[in-house]
Amino acid sequence: MSFLLRRLSFYFTAFLIAISFNFLLPRMMPGDPVEAMFAAAQGKMDPAQMDAVREMYGFMDGSLFEQYISYIQSVFTLDLGPSVLMFPIDVTTVVGMSLPWTMFLALGSLIVALIIGVSIGTYASYRREGFFGQFVPPFLAFLSNFPYIVTALLLFYFFGLQLELLPLAYTYDPAIDPGFTLEFIGSVLKHAILPMGSMILVGIATWVFNMRNAMINVLGEDYVTMAEAKGLSSYRVMYRYAGRNAILPVATAIAMAIGFSFAGSIMTEVVFNYQGLGNILLKGIMARDYPLIQAILLILVSAVLTANFIADLLYVWLDPRISK
Amino acid sequence: MNKPLLEINNLCVDYVSPNGIARAVNNVSLSIKPGETLGIAGESGCGKSTLAFAIARLHRAPGLIPEGEILYNGKDVLKMSDKELRDFRWNDASVVFQSAMNSLNPVITIGEQLTDVILAHKKITVKAATEKAVELLAIVGLPGDRLKSFPHQLSGGMRQRVVIAIALALEPKLIIMDEPTTALDVVVEREILNELYDLKEKFGFSILFISHDLSLMGEIADRIGVMYAGNLIEIGDAKTVFTNPSHPYTKGLISSFPTIHGPKERLYGIPGDPVNLLHLPEGCNFNPRCGDCMDICKKDEPQLIELSVDYKAACYKL
Repeated sequence: MSFLLRRLSFYFTAFLIAISFNFLLPRMMPGDPVEAMFAAAQGKMDPAQMDAVREMYGFMDGSLFEQYISYIQSVFTLDLGPSVLMFPIDVTTVVGMSLPWTMFLALGSLIVALIIGVSIGTYASYRREGFFGQFVPPFLAFLSNFPYIVTALLLFYFFGLQLELLPLAYTYDPAIDPGFTLEFIGSVLKHAILPMGSMILVGIATWVFNMRNAMINVLGEDYVTMAEAKGLSSYRVMYRYAGRNAILPVATAIAMAIGFSFAGSIMTEVVFNYQGLGNILLKGIMARDYPLIQAILLILVSAVLTANFIADLLYVWLDPRISK
Repeated sequence: MNKPLLEINNLCVDYVSPNGIARAVNNVSLSIKPGETLGIAGESGCGKSTLAFAIARLHRAPGLIPEGEILYNGKDVLKMSDKELRDFRWNDASVVFQSAMNSLNPVITIGEQLTDVILAHKKITVKAATEKAVELLAIVGLPGDRLKSFPHQLSGGMRQRVVIAIALALEPKLIIMDEPTTALDVVVEREILNELYDLKEKFGFSILFISHDLSLMGEIADRIGVMYAGNLIEIGDAKTVFTNPSHPYTKGLISSFPTIHGPKERLYGIPGDPVNLLHLPEGCNFNPRCGDCMDICKKDEPQLIELSVDYKAACYKL
């Protein structure tokens, strides 16, 4: 229990530091969205108008410290003000609409890549002399060295443009009403195949190698030899005795991979015009929509920290030696 | 009637390395009768653990067995199919490994590690297997609620007891023990050996007991075999090997540890280092370290000769 409390306080501190950076960074940049509008209006705005616009968007005056306090308040009350790009919709609403899609893409592809990669890695280490162990890992290493964006574009080109098998853009068919209908879920899955597939292809090798290396260490342990000497089936020796232990270092790597997965998702979303945070973030940056950018960074930070915390919980659950 | 339970004939085990082939076990023949305890002694690297592993066919690449046979009740372990081998393992022969610390999986409960071997070999319910596991823990003097424990929650002695309980699970005829008490302190070692003795009386299994500790072996073993550089160089009843050894190496081994009673004496170990298995000397492997080395020892390898009934040694002096 104390372990979890320690982790929790660690993540809370990390969160505070992250949001402080999030607060400082835009304020260190010259200009603000209103000045950008002023430039776009070619000087046809007087200072009073500009102040009025600033107030409308909820930009604060006052000292840096005052701004910081009210920023922290807004973070914890989730009241982040209206979006500049999609005025007058609240930033929170905009983010709330696209966050589930990014989570779906990032975590979904991570979990699928993890399951496939760990299974392949386990098997490849157990049969490392054979064809499978010799050939499959290097091939996957080759695949994983394509950046997300290249894999995504290649898949986009072949399956979307050439073969016309899969949809090129959007999260689901706009003609279908969202809801818990088979048609809608089918459409969501169909639209997810390409973006998720490209992330899975890139991600698998990491897990294959993580798992394979951990397995090779564990296979030399006495308890694996003993399990074999006990006459247990090789399936049980491989997964229950060796795999169960080899998964521990892999579980640590999951925490790190979550961040990468979100980053990958952002790029992939842009390629497939997927309505997630990444797409919104890009549009927000183009429009200098600082409240939106800040909110998205905030959400990404919290998502990554939460996911890390879950990975920690997973580790406690996997390794009985930790909890005491 | 006294048909051997396990008979090893001309067994060789090689380790293949880039620098050549190291023969860790060379032409070893021995047998174990039902209910007998055979000790195998020798210094580190003499091939005694390799021998133990080979009997359960647990050797892995780069280790391989180029020749020899291991007959268990007349059936060659080396020629068994996968299924026969799985049956042989633990049903007929179980293994207690060098360190109990490492032979239990740290993230699986004691209970599961005990019951899974029962369930793998017997068609019984999980409930019955659990009851059997509680019984087994009781046999080695541990309370049944330890089934829920993980190995790190037990002391070293308790862990070794669990390993012995697992070894007894299917009441095998043969238990191979590879330095079972090396990692324990002498008090716990004593307790465990006493228990082992009682268990052996009760269940009547044979033990192949591997250790470098000759004094320990003098107590527990009926017969002792001594190995040097992969060869079995002396084998016979424990008392004679211990009190009146024939081979110069065995003599050296016995004079390498102090007696508890009697005056303090300077210990004479064996001069020199163990041989490199990749560069064996001509003739007898022990000749570079032997005080009684003769010309013939540098030319030909001595064979085991029968000195009396069931007593053999390999030395030209005899």
